[in-house]
Amino acid sequence: MEFLVQQVVNGLTLGSVYALIAIGYSMVYGILKLLNFAHGEVYMVGAFIGYGVLTAAGGPDALVIPVWLVIVLMFAAAMLGSGLLGVVIERFAYRPLRGAPRIAPLITAVGVGFFLQNTVLMLFGARIRNYDTPRLIGFDVGISAGPLRISLVRILVIVLALVLTLLLTYLVSRTKLGKAMQATAHDPEAASMMGIDVDRIIAVTFFVGSVMAGAAGVMIGLVFSRVYHFMGFVAGLKGFTAAVVGGIGSIPGALLGGLFIGFAESFSAAYVSSRFQDLIVFGILVLVMLLRPQGLLGSPAVQRA
Amino acid sequence: MRVKLFSVLLPLILVVGACNGDDGDDGDGVRDDDQAQACGESYAVGVSGPFTGDAASIGQEQLNFARLAVDDFNEENGTDFQVVEGDTQLDPAQASTVAQQFVSDDNILAVVGPAGSPEVEATGPIFEREDMAFIGMSATLPTLTDGTYPTFFRVVPHDDIQGPTDADFMVSEIGAEEVFIIDDQTSYSTGLADVAQGALEDQGVTVTRDSVSQDETDYSALVSRITDGTDVAFLPWQIAANGQLFAQQMEEQGKEAVIFGSDGLFAPQDFSAEGAYVSSFAPDITGVPEAQDVIDAYNETFEAPFETTFGPPTYVATQVALEAMNEACVAGDASRAAVLELVGGVTIEDSILGGPIGFDANGDVEGARFYIFQIVDGEYTLVQ
Amino acid sequence: MPRIGTDEWVAEVDGRTEQGRGPAASARRAWDRTPAIWRIVGVVALVALLPLATDSTFTIRVAVNAMLLGLLALGLNVVVGYAGLLDLGFIAFYGFGAYAYSLLSSEHLGVHLPTELTIVLVVIGSAMLGYLLGLPSRRLLGDYLAIVTLFFGQIFVQLAVNLDRVRLPWAEETVNLTGGPNGVVGVDPMRLLGFELVDVTHYFYLLLGAILAVGIGLANLNASRTGRAWRAIREDPLASSVMGMPVNRLKLLAFAFGGAIAGFTGTVFAAVQIGVFPQNFDLTLLVMIYAGVILGGMGSLPGVLIGAGIVAVLPEVLRTPDHARLVFYGVLLLGMAIALRPWRRLASILGGAIVLGLVVRWGAALLWPDAVAGGGEGVVASVIDAWVLRVDQATLIGNLAFVALIVSVVALTRVRGRALDLALVPVIYLAAFVWENRLVAEASVTRQLILGAVLVVMMIARPHGLLGTPRVESL
Repeated sequence: MEFLVQQVVNGLTLGSVYALIAIGYSMVYGILKLLNFAHGEVYMVGAFIGYGVLTAAGGPDALVIPVWLVIVLMFAAAMLGSGLLGVVIERFAYRPLRGAPRIAPLITAVGVGFFLQNTVLMLFGARIRNYDTPRLIGFDVGISAGPLRISLVRILVIVLALVLTLLLTYLVSRTKLGKAMQATAHDPEAASMMGIDVDRIIAVTFFVGSVMAGAAGVMIGLVFSRVYHFMGFVAGLKGFTAAVVGGIGSIPGALLGGLFIGFAESFSAAYVSSRFQDLIVFGILVLVMLLRPQGLLGSPAVQRA
Repeated sequence: MRVKLFSVLLPLILVVGACNGDDGDDGDGVRDDDQAQACGESYAVGVSGPFTGDAASIGQEQLNFARLAVDDFNEENGTDFQVVEGDTQLDPAQASTVAQQFVSDDNILAVVGPAGSPEVEATGPIFEREDMAFIGMSATLPTLTDGTYPTFFRVVPHDDIQGPTDADFMVSEIGAEEVFIIDDQTSYSTGLADVAQGALEDQGVTVTRDSVSQDETDYSALVSRITDGTDVAFLPWQIAANGQLFAQQMEEQGKEAVIFGSDGLFAPQDFSAEGAYVSSFAPDITGVPEAQDVIDAYNETFEAPFETTFGPPTYVATQVALEAMNEACVAGDASRAAVLELVGGVTIEDSILGGPIGFDANGDVEGARFYIFQIVDGEYTLVQ
Repeated sequence: MPRIGTDEWVAEVDGRTEQGRGPAASARRAWDRTPAIWRIVGVVALVALLPLATDSTFTIRVAVNAMLLGLLALGLNVVVGYAGLLDLGFIAFYGFGAYAYSLLSSEHLGVHLPTELTIVLVVIGSAMLGYLLGLPSRRLLGDYLAIVTLFFGQIFVQLAVNLDRVRLPWAEETVNLTGGPNGVVGVDPMRLLGFELVDVTHYFYLLLGAILAVGIGLANLNASRTGRAWRAIREDPLASSVMGMPVNRLKLLAFAFGGAIAGFTGTVFAAVQIGVFPQNFDLTLLVMIYAGVILGGMGSLPGVLIGAGIVAVLPEVLRTPDHARLVFYGVLLLGMAIALRPWRRLASILGGAIVLGLVVRWGAALLWPDAVAGGGEGVVASVIDAWVLRVDQATLIGNLAFVALIVSVVALTRVRGRALDLALVPVIYLAAFVWENRLVAEASVTRQLILGAVLVVMMIARPHGLLGTPRVESL
């Protein structure tokens, strides 16, 4: 029984991170019908910024400020930095391609991704950085019930992801800005005719999506330690998968998709075999897509004339 | 219109750039040399490895050590050898292209690398055709030195030596009866895991075998499958940071099993799980006096303490290549065939790996043995 | 186009003036005038001369890689360009072809089928695989189809890695089917019509012939009913099915064709590499194929080939620091020459940059002589050395300068007019500074950086691809 609960927690932690990345993908897709393949690199930059803050504060062994403050600062810096990076990328690489066929910005995104990845490689080297979380927050801090161990860090990550998603949902559905984002996603021309500054809304969307990715980067660092220049590639792919499986364009769908993949990975590794984990997960996802062609929470695709 | 022009001229520039590289005369570039002590020409050694991409943490360190070795050698001997780098991203197709690049460059007389065993298999025939010696520093598949690739040498012992050593230690010193072996789906890892599994099972140990991808973010699910009866978790992995995470998650879940890592996990900066064992083909280089200068130089030049076990062998491999190149050049026959013949006979008395380096008839390093360390109080302590 | 109602001769002259008077324009016109068949013969003949023009097997190998990528791009063009289906699992067919050839022509399973038979089997097999993988397209559309094809591609790689210990119920030992991470080595060279292809040059000509054959075949296919039908379902699947087109069958046909071409390419690849490994089929390669297709212009055969050629050759040219330097300065100058007109503006900015450089170099040598490092030998290097300031603390200063360069280039896009010209001068010098001090030292990383930058710039400059036709897309 505890084994099951343990896997649920594992799945939740992993899924939360994937969900945050997926939300960024879905938001940008919703508004621009663009798959932002540079999103994974934004997440990677967020993780590095968090590491930078941690090192500037003295590293996990010799902190000059209290632990909770360091963590808050890491998140704040990473989220802000990633958000700004996302806005810059949009301005520089995607805006010129607004009228282009949908597939063109894909390659631009890939190019930006390559560039960011290798810039980080050149500036910071190939060494795998380590957040060394156990020295920051010990593993014994948390809930222990027999063989079941849930560390504080995991709880932090799950809760934070939930909070961020709730905040985002509130932003999108209740605020004026959110309504403007929805309107632009639905019909950019009509929105601009109604007086909405479409360019600004798009920039805000990118900002918010990238902020999520930055948070995800720090979370990954805290729970899973390793930070290196190539981490964005695989994570971006998983986030993209989660976004599509959940129904691309839908924020709750992205959350669900991320959690789904997180659970699928954890459960297949725990109950079957880690060797076949990827195969099983892909198989499950294929089945899901065949059974629900529009994704978990997506709306049935309308074939437009 | 301008852009169309640009898009037409860009390919033209590329073509011009590409054609500009041929140094002309083909053949093996025999040049005479009058200097008695040192080679006056600036030949080059090709270094092939994953310098970008997923495995860059390994490749960049290898490249840095190779450059350091060349600088040190040039300084000591008054030579002017160069390094030509070839990025393979651990992909055998790219390694094969890089091999062609090296082979077509008349200045390159020997090659260090490639890093992975599949890459060696893809490039072996190309180097063999041109009599080009290539010295591996991390390709440990045992069959590489069975004669299929006559121009291949390596400065590290292969899996058939490491596997049984680790297995015997687990049985005799740790007293393991149940071992959980997890490989990381690379050629290095599965080969080593297979050999170790065979050796363990021969001694009556129950072995559970699983594998995990190097890209895997979270090992928690896998860790939770380690039973309480498991004595040892054997991790023949390439990336020490992954091993560190695994160890942390084992501690998080309160697992008692002892971690035993292969030489891929030997990285004092990255892997420091208390009580874990690690095997290595060299006594800790930070303890070797000859190595101290090299380490200092590395730390100074590259601003980061070296991390993994893949670096120092590259230094040694480059040394071997340079020795052979220098000897051939001084003897007046700076050809690849001459260098190839000399490589087999190169001996380095006090290498930074803590012992002498010499090759046997197959191209394997002589006197290879593995040392076992245990991490005690955060320090790597030699136990065997 | 001659204007209606004017004298024909006048109209002709006007037409020519409109199109341009320079040598480039007349070359273009001459090109347009030659019938297609001679154009093809001309280009092929030119390319076929390559092995005679160079001694370097590296160049030939790069050409072979480019042609492999070109064939793959042709195949993907059928699926994405003609039929409009986003297939992210295309690599699986390539891998299937490579593995099938390797398993049927090596010691691994002890099977050595004659090459002609293997190729036929592989092509049929990959077509069937394409059909299978295309089946989800009946239910899935657009990005959802893309993701399922992505899954299939990943599943293939996972199978290749893990099928080295297959446990059959009746066997004691596990069967090593695909060789796992170690792949299959020792693959036989191809033997066609009695001739054994052992050299890179042989495969060069084989691929050239293959591209010719496939290209002509696809061109005919595109002009046929099937091609028109594909175009129809690409533009508007709903209307097409209303008109009675068998949309599903056409989609599957596109997948099958694409798969067959990729499978064939895989066999040649396995023969060239003398082996096949799962690491050959990672997502980076998929991205490269897509980059080639989109860069060159989806739907256009010569465009796709050129795009693939650029994507394959550019990284290889950039491997050597000397070539990379040539490309860097060449592109810089070319870009300026094209973007900055009239020539007075170009001259002033260029002159400004040169003067600034000399001043900075001279000033630095005066004030901090210890910090300035020497350069290389040779005429070009000394000229550059006299202009660009090289510092001792190259890594640190280079990194900072790199960041500054990126920031300033991004900022430049916001600036217009006179201010732009003024700002360009220091930025150009900064670019050269960063290049000489930092980027040249890290050839491998720089080459990826440049690749990424080229992709971005080219897509922004030509969103429809080099030879693509601007299309209005209904989402």
